Amino acid sequence: MSVVDYTKELSVIEGKPPLRSLDDLISKPLETKPDKKFYIALSITLSMLGLFVIGLGLTFWYGIGMWGNNNPVGWAFDIVNFVFWVGIGHAGTLISAILFLFRQKWRTGIARFAEGMTIFAVMTAMLFPLIHVGRPWLDGWLLPYPNQHGIWTNFTSPLLWDVFAVSTYFTVSLIFWYVGLIPDFAVLRERTSGKVKKLTYSIFSLGWRFSNRHWNHYEMVYLILAGFATPLVLSVHTIVSFDFAVSIMPGWHTTIFPPYFVAGAVFSGFAMVQNVLLIIRKIFNYEHIITVDTLDKMNKIMLVTGSMVGYAYAMEFFIAWYSGVEAEQFTFVNRAFGPYAWAYWIMVSCNVISPQLFWIKKIRRSVPVMFVIAVFVNVGMWFERFVIVVSSLSRDYLPSSWAYYKPTYVDFMILIGSFGFFFTFILLFTKALPVVSLAEVKAVVDGAQPSHKDH
Amino acid sequence: MSSIHNAEYQKRELPKKIQTIGLILFGVGLLAVILGYVQDSTRAAFNNIILYVFLASIGLGSLFLVAVEYLSGAVWSTPFRRIPEFLSALLIVLPFVLIPVFSNMSHIFHWMHPEVVSADKILQSKAPYLNSTFFIIRTAAFIFLWLVFYFFIIKNSKKQDASGDQSLTKKNIKISAVFMPVFAITISFTAIDWLMSLEPHWFSTILGVYYFSGSVLAGLAAATIIIVMLNENGYLVNGLNSNHYYSLGALLFAFTNFWAYIAFSQFMLIWYANLPEETFWFLQRWEGTWIIFTIGLIFVRFVIPYFGLLSQPSKMNPKRLLVMSCWILFAHWYDMYWLAMPNYSKDGVLFGWIELGFVLFAIGLVMLLFNQLAKKNNLVAIKDPKLQRGIDFRL
Repeated sequence: MSVVDYTKELSVIEGKPPLRSLDDLISKPLETKPDKKFYIALSITLSMLGLFVIGLGLTFWYGIGMWGNNNPVGWAFDIVNFVFWVGIGHAGTLISAILFLFRQKWRTGIARFAEGMTIFAVMTAMLFPLIHVGRPWLDGWLLPYPNQHGIWTNFTSPLLWDVFAVSTYFTVSLIFWYVGLIPDFAVLRERTSGKVKKLTYSIFSLGWRFSNRHWNHYEMVYLILAGFATPLVLSVHTIVSFDFAVSIMPGWHTTIFPPYFVAGAVFSGFAMVQNVLLIIRKIFNYEHIITVDTLDKMNKIMLVTGSMVGYAYAMEFFIAWYSGVEAEQFTFVNRAFGPYAWAYWIMVSCNVISPQLFWIKKIRRSVPVMFVIAVFVNVGMWFERFVIVVSSLSRDYLPSSWAYYKPTYVDFMILIGSFGFFFTFILLFTKALPVVSLAEVKAVVDGAQPSHKDH
Repeated sequence: MSSIHNAEYQKRELPKKIQTIGLILFGVGLLAVILGYVQDSTRAAFNNIILYVFLASIGLGSLFLVAVEYLSGAVWSTPFRRIPEFLSALLIVLPFVLIPVFSNMSHIFHWMHPEVVSADKILQSKAPYLNSTFFIIRTAAFIFLWLVFYFFIIKNSKKQDASGDQSLTKKNIKISAVFMPVFAITISFTAIDWLMSLEPHWFSTILGVYYFSGSVLAGLAAATIIIVMLNENGYLVNGLNSNHYYSLGALLFAFTNFWAYIAFSQFMLIWYANLPEETFWFLQRWEGTWIIFTIGLIFVRFVIPYFGLLSQPSKMNPKRLLVMSCWILFAHWYDMYWLAMPNYSKDGVLFGWIELGFVLFAIGLVMLLFNQLAKKNNLVAIKDPKLQRGIDFRL
């Protein structure tokens, strides 16, 4: 048994790098011209984005008949993608707000990036409700405003609650992210010599002068925003789960949906943060900032949330049997052994079984293995939504109208395209803003904090 | 490896009155319990179930808190981890609490009557799970598993008081990790067996999480009451202050919100979907005086603790924290009563000396148990490697 010294706190940043070197390292991508690799990556994501544009063009021109949706399955890739992307966003708020409230210092290296990812994921997600109404030029009707048509939004529909929940969440996440960036903008302002850059950074740093009073206000605002963001992040995925759970569709209507969706969202979000950060960490040489210890802790969170999701699957299955309601029982047997059994078992093996490997310490600390597991989790979480939505709808109460749903090429174009949309923003983010918080990282380097003992 | 700082802890004798008051409450309670069984055994047995789920939540909730401290590597709670450790000893008394229930079970659970089951298709389909043999096996197995984990975790923690061996912390981290999935499954099925199956037609997938949220609150509130009282009277180590209180208060506040979130989710989804096989459970709690009790639950369990603990100073003030912890513990009893009792008293709330007797019995039992364990053991894990960091903890 290896001996860990529990009397000492683990360092968040490896070694004791001079603070100056951290500044240099983190702002390097912003101060150098992008290299060939960046352009290659950007051309890939832009091509994917092109697919998105074509897929949407076809959809808007010919209508949603271009999709695979059929009579019982009126809701498929459009809502699956929406829930998937909203879920991805949740890790950002969990890392930046909830872990902050829990005083987990190890979040420092990954928080900024995760917050940025939240914003782009929510942006991607917000496109889907706008698309899936079928006539996007009427999206304005979602907003409750007095009008001449006498049309008033349906306040009893959870889809409308989605509009409010997601847009509030996006706004607060954006403010939270920006507030965290203010001191960093000021650092960049001091470092840069280019005129346009200096002006831009000056505007966005809001006259930050590193004074004691600024820091004091900053920390207060940060804490308050973290307090706001925490219930918000719960509310968003709760309401997304209401989209399904308030109905009486077997497999959708079950009371565990809200916490189960939130756990699943955090789970998939962590997997996505993990995947992208592992690449960034390698390319930008951030190995000592985003340490293996940090990754280890992220893997533990994936293990916990993955097991929560597994608990929910099992509980749903058990209660479906226990309820004695025939429709419920059929739905779950149909999920596991019906025409969509392949999707169900992909979901179970990716979401429940693969993260169980994280019980082993070696695997938690092995970068290539965790990368593969995180990919599995992302795949599995997409399939989870697919299973819930499609398997329930395709065989509902009325056997005479059962049908099998098959996505079309347009569905796939839009799905792939949404990744293009998301990753294009991520790439631009890595070149335009510091992906690690300059101010916070410097504050957690060993020796940066005063201590009552002489370290 | 750096040396472990010796925290200045001097074990002091606890005042005699804990034992005296505990004995009186326990005695009076026991008498009421026995008389209750003589007078109305069904009513007493329902109260006994409330007693069981109440004590199990304090015991399990406390053990969960101990395990979470090990797993998360938290330091702020180390100086008073002994208190939840003591409280988790309640798991030992659970089998004794259940003895009278087992002899009256068929009065409580419809599904135990063969003639009722034979006339009810739904109960027939549930029979592979809801039958007396399997029910007793499950309950016994769960209590056994809890005791195994209780025994190992607490043993290692006490051993460390003598040796200061850091590897014991490591061992406990591993045991705690294994405990978590076992805890999640057993606590959920305890809720299904002892609360949901009281109304065997009703079902809700979230009830396990609901009981979990209440249990953590109960364990935390009970521990906070003892911690604040001990620390204010100087029985713990020096240096524990408002920073530690704040952390306890913040957790109480967080779990109060979590409970409300879970309770709201359950209600909202059932109300909105409006399926008769689910709504009747809430409608039962809307009959007669139950309507007041049900609305009261929102205030008792959520609104009052929410506003009571919202501000930062209220979490740091020992008096406020003490009052709110007592309140939350009361609210947990209220909640357990709300879950179980409408199945017995269908027309309205029922509160008499039998109910009171069970409450006094529970308080007396906890006091005596705590007193006994506190006599034998240190109140602080004196050689825990995280102790000094815990004492030095500042927000």
